[in-house]
Amino acid sequence: MVFGPIPNREYHEGFMRKAVEMAELALLSDETPVGCVFVHNDEVIGRGINGTNASLNGTRHAEFVALAEIMAKHPASILQDTDLYVTVEPCIMCASALRQYKIRAVYFGCLNDRFGGCGGVMTVHQDRGVDPPYPVYGGLFREEAIMLLRKFYVQENNKAPDPKPKKNRELKTEILPISTPKVATPTVSTPDVEPKLPILERAAAAAATANMKGPAK
Amino acid sequence: MNAPSTLVTALVRKPKGFLEHVFLLSTFAFSLATAWYGVKAIMAALPTSKSSTATTSPSSPPPNKHAEWILKVIKDNVEGQDALDLQHLRRFAKPKFLPPHVIGERDRIKELYSVPRSWDAGPPSLMQDSESPSWEWAASARKRNESRAPTLYLLICPTNVIGVKDLHDLLLLHPPFVSSPDSWSYPLELKEVTVPRLAPTSPEQAAAWSDEYWPTFYRKTNPFGAHPATIEKAETELQEPSTNNVSIEAMMQLAEQAGDATEKLGYGISTGCVIVERVEDQTEIIAVAGDARGKPLPSENGACVSLEDLSLEDLEEDDKGTRKGGGGAFAKKTARKKRKKQGQKLAKLAEEHACTSGNVMCHAVMRAIGMVGRKRLRIASQPISTRAQKAEAGFISAGLAHDEKARDAFFLDLPVNALEQQYFDKDNIKADGYLCLKLEIFLTHEPCIMCSMALVHSRVGRVIFKHRMSETGGLTAEMDSNDSGPVGLGYGLCWRKELNWQFMCWEWTAANRAGSARAGRGKDIDAMNAAHATLGDGRVLRNGHRVNGNTEDIEDDDDLSQEHDIYHDQDEDANSGMNPSLTYVHV
Repeated sequence: MVFGPIPNREYHEGFMRKAVEMAELALLSDETPVGCVFVHNDEVIGRGINGTNASLNGTRHAEFVALAEIMAKHPASILQDTDLYVTVEPCIMCASALRQYKIRAVYFGCLNDRFGGCGGVMTVHQDRGVDPPYPVYGGLFREEAIMLLRKFYVQENNKAPDPKPKKNRELKTEILPISTPKVATPTVSTPDVEPKLPILERAAAAAATANMKGPAK
Repeated sequence: MNAPSTLVTALVRKPKGFLEHVFLLSTFAFSLATAWYGVKAIMAALPTSKSSTATTSPSSPPPNKHAEWILKVIKDNVEGQDALDLQHLRRFAKPKFLPPHVIGERDRIKELYSVPRSWDAGPPSLMQDSESPSWEWAASARKRNESRAPTLYLLICPTNVIGVKDLHDLLLLHPPFVSSPDSWSYPLELKEVTVPRLAPTSPEQAAAWSDEYWPTFYRKTNPFGAHPATIEKAETELQEPSTNNVSIEAMMQLAEQAGDATEKLGYGISTGCVIVERVEDQTEIIAVAGDARGKPLPSENGACVSLEDLSLEDLEEDDKGTRKGGGGAFAKKTARKKRKKQGQKLAKLAEEHACTSGNVMCHAVMRAIGMVGRKRLRIASQPISTRAQKAEAGFISAGLAHDEKARDAFFLDLPVNALEQQYFDKDNIKADGYLCLKLEIFLTHEPCIMCSMALVHSRVGRVIFKHRMSETGGLTAEMDSNDSGPVGLGYGLCWRKELNWQFMCWEWTAANRAGSARAGRGKDIDAMNAAHATLGDGRVLRNGHRVNGNTEDIEDDDDLSQEHDIYHDQDEDANSGMNPSLTYVHV
């Protein structure tokens, strides 16, 4: 269930905010506005935006750019304890790469219904395969992720073999709700009682939620 | 030189195997609900006799209206009824076109005891025409026999979108089934049938499916690959022997050499990729890359720089020095020892630090695609390079381009040996082309899912691979075979209509390599497959580092830097003892 409730949602939204900021940077440099951050032990260890125009390489997606930053300092094995926050669902290529690198979990904003690999078109993260599957959680700042993409796609792609004229395109602002019946809202998973708990219990609750960050067993 | 027909035998999958394919991909067929309803009643009411028109209610719609209404009811009320593309099936079918088992046996007992219907039991008083010498009964009885045929069968929707019970209840709420003076002549009967899920690819197949399942159209298209004529044309182009055309055999050998070359350096497993551009019968080799997933990243190996230098330059220097100096046996031995030691060290480092499947980014396909981008950047015209620079500037302002060396080491889209360098250095790509648009890719192995999708993103034109990778491959579409169990993951990424790019793909089989001159290289295909099967388990770095396995070949390293005999007219011995063939990969 890609858009299911996300435990400790506010914590994850903090990192997704950083990913959205990266996507906004991408838009400024004419790259497809997808941004991501990799988080290890509550710390951002890699950030990425799409780099296909800078490299003339169609595979240089935000995830890969961020991985390059990570691997400049860390061994690849660090990814086994690392989560990815990306504004748009990883594509089939990235979904497979992340699985081969044994990522711990993936959080994303909106689905990618053109070539998404984590539920949008295919489910590479959980299909039969030799590498361990990983959990995905979608819907964090989904509307913002969609709007960033729309802003980009009303522009013309002059590098395409025959660029489509998009003069008449309008930036649509309405966003249809997710058709999945259950959509988690930010308040659902935040424990209401938390502030009232005694200090010791609060620490226990924090520990419990920290455990929940890990991949679903 | 061999004639093209013996060089490569085109082998497009025959319809029978193809059908199997289709079946395997998507559980082969889908159950659908059909409803049949009493169109015959209306039709029987229409003809000649004035009195019988009186028996139909004046408000009754014309017969075909009912069909439209029912379709509308389904469209409005059954969500997802058109989610599956079933354009290849007839929506309405007359009984004479349906296989007998779909219609089912006539229930003669039920007919005997069923309520008389309007067409065979009009009120006798009205039926009797005062002028007529005969009884209307007779005419009515004749009509009953004629009227049995015009029942129509309608395909409603896949059974997974609505249950038979719900569908039954839904249709009972709408005309002509809803309770009304006429409704008793429209008994609602629903039935599940099995129909082909995907379109047929030949008229013969359509006919066979029509006989067995449901009337099926052949629309002269191939939804699971390029049109047969396009495939044929491409195959001719690939095989055409002209001086400027590279042969598949030669490209495959080059890819194998690329894989061997990086493997010998201890960088990866022996898989390789060659990218070729074909412009008006002229072919150019754009990029050659071997797998380097085992090459430790700077971060995984403190002494990386020295090791890298050692592996790349020092050893080559050593070899050259050895040869120049008259090839003293001692020097050679030292070089081998050094290499062996280094290989072990690399393997150990990789095992300790690397992700178990190594640096995924250094699969041969990813590296080769990266090299194409590098080449494009190098020869880009002003506007393109300005744009790239602007994007790069965006990177810098975002603080992302902090360490170019580390980035290059991660993507490894620069040559790592003389063979790769030789092709990388040529400015032979068409200027300002788009990504890898319509380029041809030759691979020793079926690419993994990541690499397959990278090829889609790069807009490649044709892919030819040699060994199928049933545990990791992303291009073939089969999942199970009747004889041998699982044969693939079923992704079929080369031709998925739901993705925004499709390309043609062949599996290339060299039937018998045992007799060939190159068998001595120790490339036993079975052994290769075994080695790569372990790759899937992520254990390749432990048992796949065959760094010192080919020490005898060290002296031959210099032929990596020579121009290879890759053109048909120069390639005499390559075809001896082989009967290679191309098999188009349908999904």
